[in-house]
Amino acid sequence: MDNLSELLHGFSIAVTVPHLVLMAVGVLLGILVGVLPGLGAPNGVSLLLPLTFGMQPVSAIILLSSMYWGALFGGSVTSILFNIPGEPSSVATTFDGYPMARDGRPTTALATAFGSAAFGALVGVILITFLASWVAQVALAFGPPEYFAVYFLAFASFVGMGGAAPIKTVVALAIGFAIAAIGIDTVSGSVRLTMGIDELVKGVNFVVAVMGLFGIGELLVAVEEEFHARAVSSRIDWAEVFRAVVRLPRHGVALLRSAAIGCWMGITPGGPTAASFMSYGIARRFSRRGRYFGTGEVEGIISPETADHAAGTSALLPMLSLGIPGSATAAVMMGGLMIWGLNPGPMLFVDQKDFVWGLIASMYVGNIVAVALVLLTVPVFAALMRIPFVVIAPLIVIICVVGAYSVSNSYLDVVMMLGFGIVGYLFKKLFYPLAPLVLAIVIGDKAEDAFRQSMLMSKGSLGIFFANKLVTCLVIAGIALLLLPLVLQLARPFRKSTSPTAEAPAQEKVII
Amino acid sequence: MISRRALELATAILTGGFGVAVVVQSLDNGIGWSSEGVESGTFPFLTGIIIIAGSLYNLARGIVPAGTLANVPIAITSIELRRLAGLFLPAAIFVAVIPLLGMYVASAVYIFAVLAVPEHQSVLRSAATAAATALALYVVFERMFQVSLPHGALAAALGF
Amino acid sequence: MRGTSLFLLSVSVAVLAANAPACAAWQPQKPIEFVATAGPGGGTDNLARAVQNVIAKHKLTDQPIVVVNKGGGSGAEGYVYGKASAGDPYKVIFGTSNAWQQPLVSKVAFNYTDLTPIAAMAQDEFLLWVKQDAPYKTAGDYLKAAASGQFKMGGAQSKDTDEVLTRMIEKVGHVKLTYIPFKSGAEAAVQLAGGHIDSHVNNPSESLGQWRGGTQRPLCVFSPKRLPEGPKITATEGWSDVPTCVEQGLDIKQYEQPRTVWLPGKVTPEQAAYYVDLMKKVQATPEWKDYIEKTSQVDTFLTGAEFDKFIKQDLEHVKQVASEQGWLVK
Repeated sequence: MDNLSELLHGFSIAVTVPHLVLMAVGVLLGILVGVLPGLGAPNGVSLLLPLTFGMQPVSAIILLSSMYWGALFGGSVTSILFNIPGEPSSVATTFDGYPMARDGRPTTALATAFGSAAFGALVGVILITFLASWVAQVALAFGPPEYFAVYFLAFASFVGMGGAAPIKTVVALAIGFAIAAIGIDTVSGSVRLTMGIDELVKGVNFVVAVMGLFGIGELLVAVEEEFHARAVSSRIDWAEVFRAVVRLPRHGVALLRSAAIGCWMGITPGGPTAASFMSYGIARRFSRRGRYFGTGEVEGIISPETADHAAGTSALLPMLSLGIPGSATAAVMMGGLMIWGLNPGPMLFVDQKDFVWGLIASMYVGNIVAVALVLLTVPVFAALMRIPFVVIAPLIVIICVVGAYSVSNSYLDVVMMLGFGIVGYLFKKLFYPLAPLVLAIVIGDKAEDAFRQSMLMSKGSLGIFFANKLVTCLVIAGIALLLLPLVLQLARPFRKSTSPTAEAPAQEKVII
Repeated sequence: MISRRALELATAILTGGFGVAVVVQSLDNGIGWSSEGVESGTFPFLTGIIIIAGSLYNLARGIVPAGTLANVPIAITSIELRRLAGLFLPAAIFVAVIPLLGMYVASAVYIFAVLAVPEHQSVLRSAATAAATALALYVVFERMFQVSLPHGALAAALGF
Repeated sequence: MRGTSLFLLSVSVAVLAANAPACAAWQPQKPIEFVATAGPGGGTDNLARAVQNVIAKHKLTDQPIVVVNKGGGSGAEGYVYGKASAGDPYKVIFGTSNAWQQPLVSKVAFNYTDLTPIAAMAQDEFLLWVKQDAPYKTAGDYLKAAASGQFKMGGAQSKDTDEVLTRMIEKVGHVKLTYIPFKSGAEAAVQLAGGHIDSHVNNPSESLGQWRGGTQRPLCVFSPKRLPEGPKITATEGWSDVPTCVEQGLDIKQYEQPRTVWLPGKVTPEQAAYYVDLMKKVQATPEWKDYIEKTSQVDTFLTGAEFDKFIKQDLEHVKQVASEQGWLVK
């Protein structure tokens, strides 16, 4: 094993006192930017980038990648505690994380999320270590038709399984697609659906939509139901942190399945968001406790978190080996690499062995440092739940406002965010599902671009989606996932009532 | 008091209206196939049509009296409505005054108002919370991460 | 380390002194916002951040500088923002030639005349790239093979610089290419490496790594003369070894993308002059040279009438291509 000796050499670079200190600093800063919606890892990276110019490239990249880990972990905190996902990839974590926290188990929810996230990331790193060259080859096989097939697969695995009224699901999904189409269209370069507002040429950012739909929407539901009157007993409980992590291996199947989905979606260009949604959808379909999903199920937290981090980690590989950044953070990191005179791309692994293997080794160590630090902070974050609702509610409003504003320094975004808040409230109240809406906003335009690029390539023939083995398999898998619920329903006698009123007591369970 | 039916109807009209706007706008972009492949208005047009059709269906289900959806006659009671307004109106006013007062002053005033006016907290404590919030925002965003939040017309007039 | 910074300091003092009379007129009193009309990591963003770093390092102004990304709508977001900030001399917009090209071909709510031009600071070259194992060795071979009409050309965005150049190649080379727009040049490069498209016209920095890695190679550069000599990229070749397209029988003499700097409209001439001067100072620093070299761009500085003339010429040219293609907005 050539890679193994390289990796050991990498460890000798990564595990030094100065580098461990850098990791801790990076992770803590990352947690901070991750927790604060509106700030993300790109902010942290651009803050640190100037500081790193005096450093060795390997030290600099260790600092930046540690911050990336910290931010990935931190992003789940607000999703779980306040139902505000700061990143697209942590939306799926809110589905079960938030109900669990609201039930008075924020410590368990956070510790479970962090533990499974760390597992996912480690699987991702192992994949990078041993299959780097193979992975790079796989990624190259993906052209526009394959991209489209991957997005189709993500939709298929998620949509059509909720208990919401089917027509409402369709409406929510279509609205999401329409919102995703706002702004300049990549394929034709023309401006679409700006509704006469010039500034909308930039499109509707996901964060703006989600802050409103989830953050403000949930706040309105909460104040109306007055659930906040219920005392949330969140004692600072270190033992529970430990217990939650120890309990994880019991969900081994879910962990492994989610990690596999995450790695697959990270390498193929689906990305962490599609991965977390898909993993959640599949877990819900195959778990024995699937019908309790949405009420605070442990596996409902494990599945999206593991997949998210596995994908986030393995997505770094295409960046290093091909020079395509999988995310905004990766893009800034890549800009940094270039400033240090390193060119991401296939030669990086040959030219800059120390750098690459130092980085990969630091991913192992950095993740362990990150999960240790972040688990230590769990009780602190959980204590936030004890702040009385009357105080925390305006603070959440401010967080959402600042978050929406800082996405692109735009006041219009803040107003839109508030509008999305009303929509979120109405949708929740009337059992329109929010998840398909969000999924469509995030990957709808990418799917459309890929479809139209494919059509350009094939000059209008749909045959391009069956042109080779890879794309055919993906499309067929997607269709199978889409039809599966129908088949299951036909095979079994009709058990569940689809009327939302009949299921009103378990509303969170039904509508995700 | 707002009935479930009224809420369903309002939402269906809202989504339907959005659908109509999408369809109208996408016609500008052209729908169908041209030398540049699938024209840019095609997909929005289709989604718009789906939104309209779905909204009409939801509207119809809301109207039909025996519809299962209308089984819960009251969706929002007047007391709940008051609570909703109590949260949403101050938030909306807060957002509205940001261009004038700037983010820092507006958020301090907002926090102070929602804590002190309904007497959730003492005036002193409310003021302290308000000041701490604004200060924390300033330090983290403006200083640490160099994200400049709006300073408002007032600050501009005062020469900041 | 101390020695260098001391040296740099004295350089900057010298530069400052040399320019002292010109900058006496107007001085910024508030923090300055650099608006990059691209997402984090894009070429324009890198430029804005490089300028920010140079200014901070040499203390060229007392006021802090913040970089803001407004890259939505292929950069239109940033320009619309600039238009809306008319009269505000604390917003500096960094863009490319799309400031005047985009309004021609899509219904965006701005035109370059809404902004005050400051300078064009660097030019990105364009090259014709093919897959490493493609059978053709020269642009002539490529055109012959492309005569089949089955060739797919990738590029960043639609009706933007890449597609304009593609249409020019079609016309000059008497071929028909299918243009597939992607989000960025980097994406097009990966698609070429995977063999999903046949060629693209990326800037040097966008495909540098791919060339080194032996997944694709440049056939020719759209420039009147070969690129300046630099370190070797592959074992045997560097940028200066790439022939010009004219040499190879593809008669497009020059095609470049300038990086442009703007102020919002309705600022005073003194304010504009201050920034022209500031950018000149930035350009005189060693860090700037370093940035230019690392990103394989060409150092230029166009301002005032020269810049204006450049815009007019380019505009004429793009207008012609756009009207032939039927892209012009009605």
